[in-house]
Amino acid sequence: MNPQNLSLNPTSIRSKFTKTFLRALTRINNRRPPISPSREIYQRYRRVKIAADASMASAVGSRRTWSRAILWKIRNQRRYRALVSRRISTHAMTKRDPRENYGREVGHGSADELRRIVPGGEAMDFCSLLGETAHYIKCLNTQVQVMRSIADLYST
Amino acid sequence: MLHCLQSPENHAGNSTDMTVLERQGARLLWLQQQPDQQNFVTQNSTSLEFYQTALFHGLTNNDFGNLPIPRTEFVTEKMGFSESEIVANFLEMGHSFSRTSSCLPAAAATTTSSMAGAKEKSGNSILLEKMVSSSTGRDSLKKRKAEVEFGVTEDGRDKRIKADAEEGESKAAEKNSRESSADTSKENSKFSEVQKPDYIHVRARRGQATDSHSLAERARREKIGKKMKCLQDLVPGCNKITGRAGMLDEIINYVQSLQQQVEFLSMKLAALNPRLDFNIDNSFKKEFPAYVAGFPTADISSSEMPNLACLQFSPVKQGDTSCVLDVPITPPQAPQRTTGSSIPIPEIYLDSSCFPQVQPYTTLDSDLQSLYNVEFH
Repeated sequence: MNPQNLSLNPTSIRSKFTKTFLRALTRINNRRPPISPSREIYQRYRRVKIAADASMASAVGSRRTWSRAILWKIRNQRRYRALVSRRISTHAMTKRDPRENYGREVGHGSADELRRIVPGGEAMDFCSLLGETAHYIKCLNTQVQVMRSIADLYST
Repeated sequence: MLHCLQSPENHAGNSTDMTVLERQGARLLWLQQQPDQQNFVTQNSTSLEFYQTALFHGLTNNDFGNLPIPRTEFVTEKMGFSESEIVANFLEMGHSFSRTSSCLPAAAATTTSSMAGAKEKSGNSILLEKMVSSSTGRDSLKKRKAEVEFGVTEDGRDKRIKADAEEGESKAAEKNSRESSADTSKENSKFSEVQKPDYIHVRARRGQATDSHSLAERARREKIGKKMKCLQDLVPGCNKITGRAGMLDEIINYVQSLQQQVEFLSMKLAALNPRLDFNIDNSFKKEFPAYVAGFPTADISSSEMPNLACLQFSPVKQGDTSCVLDVPITPPQAPQRTTGSSIPIPEIYLDSSCFPQVQPYTTLDSDLQSLYNVEFH
């Protein structure tokens, strides 16, 4: 039994995430196996990953930029998948070049790296990027702890 | 006579020997020459007082010799006061003189009124020179209207006093910034008044720029530093690193490692789940009773259990539905479900767990959207 999960109030981000993620896992397990069994584990992995991201973002809500970006990405994933895959070859080149020029932060190369990592960070200024990163790190920590506890519970 | 009148000391010394009318004439002549005599300003106060008393004696003795003995005393007792009171007394004297002259016979009235006018003029010119000597405005000597001059010089002096006060304020407000010229000090006084309420926490230290852009930039840097400190507490192993670039690299590494952990764990869960289909709801109830208690669908999820078991033992049926499943995961249907499916999806989900044929209506996307939209009681 996990004591840190038990001692939580139901409105905290951790408990919200756990609830929604477990529901999503149940739903994923209710799905039928896909036609090609070779891709089954990959599809399951993708669904679990998306479920984890989406439940985390939905637990946070739309207050934060990164959660909004994650939800938007997941929501529009299928609609824009073809577009993104078509654009993905030119995407890296065209988007890098203007980024290199602007920004006079200290170590703005690493700031751009951080912008790419944090979801929705491309359009942020440096100050709010740091705030979003702090919150994102906290939520990722929570996510990792909860997922690890779930995996430990089910693997035994 | 003019020669001895041009220096006031001589005039004061000889005033007892001169007749009253002579002194009057000399006084008038002297009044006409007065704007050119700058050295009158520098005379001492005793000679001035004497001159004034003598002048008044002359005036009063000339026209009504019996009347004004109390008046002279009144004047002389007030003569020893300060400048402003002298000025006020001159004006008073003029007014009272004209008042007394108005009740005299008409023949004397004209001369006394003219003399009162001259007297007032002289008083005003003295006043003027006093003001000039105090306020060092030389050009104001040229004008004869004493009231106007008085107002102007008073305004000028007021302005100067205000300017001095502002300078003092600005210097008190920004002690460390050095301003020598008057323009910069005025600018800074305005600037400190305007900028103080906005940036009360940003103070310009010695040698720092004080324009608004620099202040805003300094505030932004302070905010960034605060957030970096906050991040430093969050990221383990970041305390030893000094320098922003190193800290950013460490933060990036940490975020990437967390994201990889999430990927790894989701992979682990995906690999675990096929064997644990029965256990999920069991363990969901067993291991997370805190959530199950506040979770409205917990009872139903426990009631799903036999149905799930049935599902697992009927793979042919699942295969059939999976063929149908691929159809609704087409892009055009996803946006339609974004808002409308937020509430009914839990019921659909519960139904679909009981009846697998309904399941194609719920795509993974809409489920995830429902995760975001559904309110838990």
